[in-house]
Amino acid sequence: MTAWMDPRARRRFWKNRGARIGVLLVGLLVVFALVGPLVSHHDPYASDFRGGATALGEPVGPSATYWLGTDRIFRDVYVRLAYGARLSLVIAISSTLISTVIGAAVGLVAGYYEGTEGVRVPYLSIAGALVGFVLVVAGHTRAGGTALALAALAAVLAWIVKPGAIASGPGLDADSALMRLVDVGLSFPFLLLVMALAAAFDRTTVSTILWTLGLTSWLGTARVVRAKTMQVRSLDFIGAARALGQPVPRILLRHVLPNVAGPVIVLSTAQVASMIVAESVLSYLGVGIAPPTPTWGHMLYEGQEVYLGAPWLLAAPAAAILLSVLGFNLLGEGLRDALDPKED
Amino acid sequence: MRSIRRKTEAAFGALLAAGAFGCREPPPAPLPHGSSPAPVRGGEMHLASFGDIKSLDPAVAGDTLTGEVIELMYAGLVDFDAQGHVVPDLAERFERSDDGLVYRFFLREGIRFHDGSPVTARDVKRSIERTLHPDTPPTFSAFYDRIVGFDDYQGRRADHLAGVVVEGERVVAIHLREPDASFLAAFAMQNLRPVCPSAGDRYDDTWQPCGAGPFKLEAWDRGRSVRLVRFDGWWQPGKPYFDALTYTYGMNMSTERFKFERGDLDVDRELLLADIFRYQGDPRWKPLGAYDAAPSIGGEEMNVEIAPFDNVEVRRAVACAIDREQIRMVKPPALTPLYRVLPPTLSGDDPSFPGQKYDYAAALEHMRRAGYPYDPATGKGGWPKPIVYVTYKQGLVEYTAQVIQQQLARIGLRLEIRMVSYPTYLAMSKRRGTVAITNSGWSQDFPDASDFFEPIFATAAINDEDSNNGSFYSNPKLDDILVRARKELDPAVRKRLYDDADAIVCDDAPWAMEYLYRYYGVHQPYVRDLAQHNVWSNYVRDAWLDKPPARTSSARASVRLAPRSLLGSILAVLE
Repeated sequence: MTAWMDPRARRRFWKNRGARIGVLLVGLLVVFALVGPLVSHHDPYASDFRGGATALGEPVGPSATYWLGTDRIFRDVYVRLAYGARLSLVIAISSTLISTVIGAAVGLVAGYYEGTEGVRVPYLSIAGALVGFVLVVAGHTRAGGTALALAALAAVLAWIVKPGAIASGPGLDADSALMRLVDVGLSFPFLLLVMALAAAFDRTTVSTILWTLGLTSWLGTARVVRAKTMQVRSLDFIGAARALGQPVPRILLRHVLPNVAGPVIVLSTAQVASMIVAESVLSYLGVGIAPPTPTWGHMLYEGQEVYLGAPWLLAAPAAAILLSVLGFNLLGEGLRDALDPKED
Repeated sequence: MRSIRRKTEAAFGALLAAGAFGCREPPPAPLPHGSSPAPVRGGEMHLASFGDIKSLDPAVAGDTLTGEVIELMYAGLVDFDAQGHVVPDLAERFERSDDGLVYRFFLREGIRFHDGSPVTARDVKRSIERTLHPDTPPTFSAFYDRIVGFDDYQGRRADHLAGVVVEGERVVAIHLREPDASFLAAFAMQNLRPVCPSAGDRYDDTWQPCGAGPFKLEAWDRGRSVRLVRFDGWWQPGKPYFDALTYTYGMNMSTERFKFERGDLDVDRELLLADIFRYQGDPRWKPLGAYDAAPSIGGEEMNVEIAPFDNVEVRRAVACAIDREQIRMVKPPALTPLYRVLPPTLSGDDPSFPGQKYDYAAALEHMRRAGYPYDPATGKGGWPKPIVYVTYKQGLVEYTAQVIQQQLARIGLRLEIRMVSYPTYLAMSKRRGTVAITNSGWSQDFPDASDFFEPIFATAAINDEDSNNGSFYSNPKLDDILVRARKELDPAVRKRLYDDADAIVCDDAPWAMEYLYRYYGVHQPYVRDLAQHNVWSNYVRDAWLDKPPARTSSARASVRLAPRSLLGSILAVLE
């Protein structure tokens, strides 16, 4: 997994004990998610009212049949934990991918164009389009359609006649536009925003949670990538590429991106941990994926209710969350130390 | 972002540690109490619930939780005593005419509203008309349709309710168009209780709640808490005993338990399964706990206007597919399987009554007759689409929902659970054409069989919003039996009529009956005279506080050292 690093960074990485523990924990988590559900013959959704309950009607503790005991309605905790691991990993990694791609793209563009003269923005067209959109959503299809058509016409005219002459306002460069958007986004508390979005859905599924988390967590990545891009773009080889007439997308992808990849990887690794926690918090608070789907956060919530009589119900998901978050954080910190040349 | 993560990690770690050490820890000792032989005045009562209240106006209050506060803030002309008998309250006496058509109430002298104005017969009439006005959400108006002039008033053909007659400053008479065996009990309920003149003639949800009960409202922080203080103009000398009462809403059930054990709450009635076992198994706590006297029934409410439950065979299939013994296992100390509408206290628990029983083969047969045959071997067939099941997060129902989901999947009905907040659940489940199936319950308002049919299964109980009849079930035959039963004054004939009604509901299955729910509550030993009331839940109106002279600080300090209270503090922070 460290083949892409240069040999010195690789050596630094493997010398770091924290990084090794991180690799071990993440590896165990992946193996557990892949193999865990297969080695148990229990169904994560089926209650066992006979073998899974005591005479009083309490869940049974860990035993040869139920390795981690049964839950509040007598389902196997082990197999639910393993399915929960799959879900946690899928959500955490996918949402991190989404957020990294968006964050890197925004950061690259903003950083590359920082300080350059901006394009003029056809405010009138944008305002017209917004009004049209609101009207259409509110059900006034004809009025909204007219507004949209006028907005489009204004934009086309502005472009044909003379860019900026008609219906245009002062200039706004890509960097300012994108970074003000990021500022606005960051001004919302992350969990509050995610909870509001998750609660707004009629039914929360794996994909709604995944997109909600992905689309709300790219702001930090964008800022870091922008700063790093601004450093890189002033280097000679970028100037050379520009002088050779290479198109901007090619410069960004071939020359800038590889040079900002280090921090992006470190950030993403740590972000997987945040996403695991965020998903658990949502499920714990009841705005995550609906039961009976096993999620660690919801298992934690269920376990809290009976923790005096059945502590394994709380301990199992709590340990799973703790160790996965620890693993990804240690891994991220190990990568950061390895890729940061300061300590060499 | 990062700081949030750190905090969450720390909390999870602490939860884990507390879980490992807290295993099987017995409850802490009950807090010390004084030894006063007679009731003493003073102190503040603290109660809490996971739920919330929408209104403090008796005209629209319908749920149990709101009823607890209404009972303290508003007094009626008559009320129920702890055994469930109707007794005078604001009225010093009442009489019924020999033909059973006129009830006459004589108000006490000198009774006042919380704003200081006197309670007169005109106020009584105004309050009744305000509640029964067609513009007021008709929560329970079906109970009062026998009052003379009710139909004209509801139909806006009359400005006043002719059957309510002011016969003097302190005398009011209610005329019925036919005898009604349950009228007095219905009148003792909360909806018609006198409200202050500031309430006006018409219901208005911006009104500042004000009544003539033993406590008056001091503050209502919506969604969080209600604080009541003693009303010094109450007619009973020396009563009520405590100075104030704070009711906190939206509290996590675990937090309730921690706060209760620390003495921050005086009564805890929303106990988690493990806690019921803990308190019942501890000799120090056992005498401080009790089951509620008033029964509640619970079941799956199926909307007969929404497919597939518009098909009676599908509803019958559900009624047969539910294994009530398994449902009981979700909370054994609180649940008893229920196979019919009436609880045993009212039905006499007749074993020969057919009712609704678990019968898997019959359930499959009903699905076949409905036109949706299901093959358990292949898992093919049944209703083709997922059915949305609406429920809320807290306590019992989210678990029964998951068991029901498993049981109905076995007959080809695939439920998709949707979790909403409790107020959303209340609004959605009682709105026409909105929810196909959900868990529903009914707590006894007064000990009479009519209370388990008319408000929830009669056609008159259907409304587009806030419909107590949440299945929107309407059966003229049932309506007819209910009318006859209410007019009937012979108990044996009445019982037979209500058995017939029960059989009809069990067969048409707008509900699949599931369980009888009994609340188990515990209180600290210094809470005295906490009555087990046969009608009102959490009845603290006559309770008093007997705290020892200022020694609680040492008791609290020792409790704080336990890992359990560490977890309690964390949960309180997380809330």
